[in-house]
Amino acid sequence: MTDTEHLTRELDELESAAKRYDAQHEFIDDFAWPEGTQIAVNFTADFDTMLFRRFLEETPMQLAQGEFGGRVGIWRLIELFSSHDVTATVFTPGRICELYPQSLVAAARAGLEIADHMWEHHVPKDMQLEHDHIRKSTAALEKTVGKRPVGTRSRHTNSLLIEEGYVYNSHGSASHLPYYERDADGENCLINLPFHYAIDDAMFFSFAWLSSENAAQRITDPNRVFDLWWAAFEQQYRQGGYLNICLHPFVSGRAMRIEMLDRLIARMKTLPGVWFPSCEDVARYCLEAFPTKGG
Amino acid sequence: MPWKDGYTISDEKSLFDNEIRWPDGKRVCMTVMLDLSLASGPQGLTAADLRHSPATFGMNEGLDQVRDVLNRYGIKATVTVPAAMARIMPDAILALRDDGHEIAAQGLKHEDVSTLDRDEEAARLAMTTEILENLTGQRPEGWFSLPRPNDPFAVGTVSPNTHDLLIEAGYGYMGNGLSDDIPHYWVTDFDAKRAILTLPYFYHFDDQFFLMFPKKGTGLEHADTLLANWNAEFDAQYRRGRYFNMTLHPYAVGWCNRLKLLEDFYVRIGDRPGIWNPTAGEAARYWQKTYPQKTALKLEPSVWTDYPGSLS
Repeated sequence: MTDTEHLTRELDELESAAKRYDAQHEFIDDFAWPEGTQIAVNFTADFDTMLFRRFLEETPMQLAQGEFGGRVGIWRLIELFSSHDVTATVFTPGRICELYPQSLVAAARAGLEIADHMWEHHVPKDMQLEHDHIRKSTAALEKTVGKRPVGTRSRHTNSLLIEEGYVYNSHGSASHLPYYERDADGENCLINLPFHYAIDDAMFFSFAWLSSENAAQRITDPNRVFDLWWAAFEQQYRQGGYLNICLHPFVSGRAMRIEMLDRLIARMKTLPGVWFPSCEDVARYCLEAFPTKGG
Repeated sequence: MPWKDGYTISDEKSLFDNEIRWPDGKRVCMTVMLDLSLASGPQGLTAADLRHSPATFGMNEGLDQVRDVLNRYGIKATVTVPAAMARIMPDAILALRDDGHEIAAQGLKHEDVSTLDRDEEAARLAMTTEILENLTGQRPEGWFSLPRPNDPFAVGTVSPNTHDLLIEAGYGYMGNGLSDDIPHYWVTDFDAKRAILTLPYFYHFDDQFFLMFPKKGTGLEHADTLLANWNAEFDAQYRRGRYFNMTLHPYAVGWCNRLKLLEDFYVRIGDRPGIWNPTAGEAARYWQKTYPQKTALKLEPSVWTDYPGSLS
């Protein structure tokens, strides 16, 4: 007879890996928005311009492509959100304070939330350096816009984020709705506002995203994305859900896409009960109305 | 780090819509680039690039058809010509010039110059300029480095010296940059305030990335997406009063239903008032006069700090 003991052990390990990871997540039962609100829509802008491309040592013309976000795109997004009273959140690497400070001051003055997107758009492996990066980014944003960020879009370590006063993260998509996430030890809980790559402009409008090549064909027209995102909104609207729309100023700041977003927001506003808060507003609402059961 | 070297090529923000004026109260500026390069990748033109039927079509019937559409709708284009193509099809280029289109330079073989040393690049630049000047009797005013279909990035390639060499050689503008959607100054030396005017390019309005792309295999055909992007961007920029640029390749857009699509675009915008359609050179000269570098380029001093464990 074949010895199947090692196979059973393998299955045990898979089961325990799934359970351990699952246990890091705490979902909110009977979630509901404040009275009169049917859906919360977070418009978020990842304002890294060319910083990540610089980190990857991409070519000068590629960096110039990113620069569009700082020179042009961010200003158009500020104007767009202001015109619709949408309190968007701008996830910003701290270094942007040294490259495009004027736009951040303008965004904050327009009432947008400025949150962290890693000091230089990456998380160092060394934890001490990681902590240094979080501190630098937090300090730079606070100094530039006069308010300490409380949110991040990153894979930073929860314990370090909590130590620096962060209350929420916005990454990952373990649920449509906001959920709590702990570190591997089941400690250090943060509320997470999920975003999904299917609702991310870069997946539709940008060649050579991260390590994909041009042949990966991330290029389409605004009307198609309008239809896809409207369908996403409708689906979540019907179930009283949540939508986080991830934009990059160098991608969505192009005139034809601003026009599409303008139409999309206008159409969303034709329905009752659509809330356009900042991510901080959503996070604070969840923490207050549905505190974690695990402490 | 001096200034914001390696991070930014110009000043911190673009002009807002209401700061932009076009000649004679025109509403929007539209430039059309007609790229005669057939280079498939960073190595520039190779014999293989020229020895297949789409290349032959692009140099003959495809070009004739696109030229006919441009002339019928009164569209002025800027023709981007690698020196090698000037040698291969001199008569066609002269005919385009006689139609009133601008002849601009696009490298010796439209090759990637990013790893060449400065002297080698300067020599190739001088040779290219001379070949085009000998053909047309005029020094080219503008230089292009448009992307090739098999490039790693759809943005064009330059070396750290390219822009400076163009200034040195007396070029009036660099034809393609992606930092803005209006003309802008590409700074090569912050302290000396040395810069060259750069015209906007974006691959979402470039036919080659929609028509049987990628090159490898048989490619995917997105002619409808291309037209949708042209229409959407033109409308948006018309409303804003800014700038619209489209890039055409005769081998690609000259074929069959795609040519119809180009016509559809020109028909659609045909009766709109206030479109200014200069050559790239005219647009550049207007910009330099109206928004001279001396007053328009607002360079902020660097506030960048180097730290251990951070980028520099």
